[in-house]
Amino acid sequence: MSVTLALPSKGRLKEKTLFLLQEAGYEIQLPADQRNYRARVNNAPDIDILFLSASEIAYELGSGAVDLGITGEDLLRETVAHPEKYTDIRLPLGFGHADVVVAVPDIWYDVYNMADLDDVAADFRQHHGRCLRIATKYWRLTQKFFSQKHGIQVYRIVESAGATEGAPAAGLADIIVDITSTGATLAANGLRVLDDGIILKSQTCLVASCLSGAHQEINGICARISETLTSMNF
Amino acid sequence: MKPAVSLLDKQPYPILTACKMHEIKIATEAAFDYFRKNSLTVSEIAILQPAEPFLDMAGEDLRRRIFMTTSDNGDSLCLRPEFTIPVCLQHIARGHTTPQYYAYGGEVFRQSCDAGSSFYQAGIEEFGAADEAEADARSLRHATAILHHIAPTRDIRMLIGDHAIFAAMLAALKLPDGWQKKMRRCFGNDRQLHTLLSELSRPAQSPNLPYTVSQLITHGNTQALAELIERQMLDNGICPSVGRTPQDIAARLIEKQAIADLHLDNTVLTALEDFLAIDVSLDKAEQTLNHFAIRHHLALEDVITLFSARIKAIDTQGLDLAELRYNAAFGRPLDYYTGFVYEIRDGGHKPQTLAGGGRYDRLLTMLGAPMPIPAVGFSIWLDQF
Repeated sequence: MSVTLALPSKGRLKEKTLFLLQEAGYEIQLPADQRNYRARVNNAPDIDILFLSASEIAYELGSGAVDLGITGEDLLRETVAHPEKYTDIRLPLGFGHADVVVAVPDIWYDVYNMADLDDVAADFRQHHGRCLRIATKYWRLTQKFFSQKHGIQVYRIVESAGATEGAPAAGLADIIVDITSTGATLAANGLRVLDDGIILKSQTCLVASCLSGAHQEINGICARISETLTSMNF
Repeated sequence: MKPAVSLLDKQPYPILTACKMHEIKIATEAAFDYFRKNSLTVSEIAILQPAEPFLDMAGEDLRRRIFMTTSDNGDSLCLRPEFTIPVCLQHIARGHTTPQYYAYGGEVFRQSCDAGSSFYQAGIEEFGAADEAEADARSLRHATAILHHIAPTRDIRMLIGDHAIFAAMLAALKLPDGWQKKMRRCFGNDRQLHTLLSELSRPAQSPNLPYTVSQLITHGNTQALAELIERQMLDNGICPSVGRTPQDIAARLIEKQAIADLHLDNTVLTALEDFLAIDVSLDKAEQTLNHFAIRHHLALEDVITLFSARIKAIDTQGLDLAELRYNAAFGRPLDYYTGFVYEIRDGGHKPQTLAGGGRYDRLLTMLGAPMPIPAVGFSIWLDQF
């Protein structure tokens, strides 16, 4: 049975993923044309490699269009409906570490935790005639964290496709929910993570689609990558 | 080969049976018959509404519970999840005078996993009545009368609450403003309120602030603090007039400092617990509240006077006070409710809510009315008959 393995199509994530697969002994034949998004594995002809954006990989794992994929846990939880039901995180890969966090302007000296933010959100309309605005691309994670976990109801989400950290300074939003690894970009934009503002600790994972029928092949690939990771670490 | 998700895997939404539809139709007709007999004009409310006002009033979480779509030119629309906000918007848009009654009825749409996705409501909203107590009592009388009109033999229970008394009690306990606001936000949600009370019983931890900032806080110098924050904002390219201002931040820092060393003491906790435990029939409510105020040395005369005026008005409307229950902890955790709230439940073993109502003096202003308009109203759940 053939298996479709979806890999990130660009950047450091692509490099690290390809390196890991090479270490695992897969001879990946990259297409001669850079614009081609498919690849073959010379010594494993039953594996079809597909290069997609990381969030597309998450979505396609959820829909069952790919059997196996490498993507961030944050995107899986944000993009897939019922991620626990339709996807199975088989291996954390130890790179792409990043936290999804709530960050406020550092100058908000009075706001250090979610309880502070709750007070500010509740008074916001009275002071400013509108709700507190949160810039993010993580709609679902934000709603769950604010509404369900912290009981904060009155806020609005401003969809942000990129450069979310710049939204508060640009006056587009008051605070942000975004991904951060070192916190350097947040700090450079005058933002600070709340003490209890970590929504999710994410990293890049090898993920199987629960809708795939190719159990044996998936298990084989997972086992091989797992062994490689162990040997790389020691 | 990729197996597709079978449609059968997914739980289908329950579908109303023909029999249930017939019952709803009869209940709706009875409600409209009541409107006609009382010369109440029925407002036409479009099924498709702008989504923004609902999200602005109830918050982003509502997005998961309404049916949204987008118009050709990109406006967010939704199927009406209720009638009150559209009625308010219509009133404002048409510039109607007050006092004004609005009656309505029809289908509302909400996402729900277990109870279907559309419900039937009918109700009456009254805007700008001169006498609040009378308007409150009238609203309650209309609600019970319609229920009686729909189901004359139905055993019902009526529950009364009042946000204003809770707020006045917090003020009389001389709690810091910040705490009063926090508690008012939780009013009506027992679990949240008790979590909050136990948090406030412990001293808060203070964060590490820059030396200059904490110095100014210690001296309580709001003005200098605001100026310092404004300078830092400008240095960092943040516009001080967009969003939270230096004054907002400075004022809240001083407010936090004022309560940093405080924690709820036992006298206050006992008074709060005593208050929240009040659950009496309405004919005994005034006396109970007076005793409570005396026992805890709280000045609540003004708010109890208003409360008694409403009780008298309810009595005048011909409702039996002994049949109504006042529960001091009953409220709705939405910030536009300001005073009187009520709920009518089934008297049987499964106490479903048949109707809910209350006073929401802040809502019309929040929706853009040029001046404050007092408002009270209710909705009946027609599916429950």
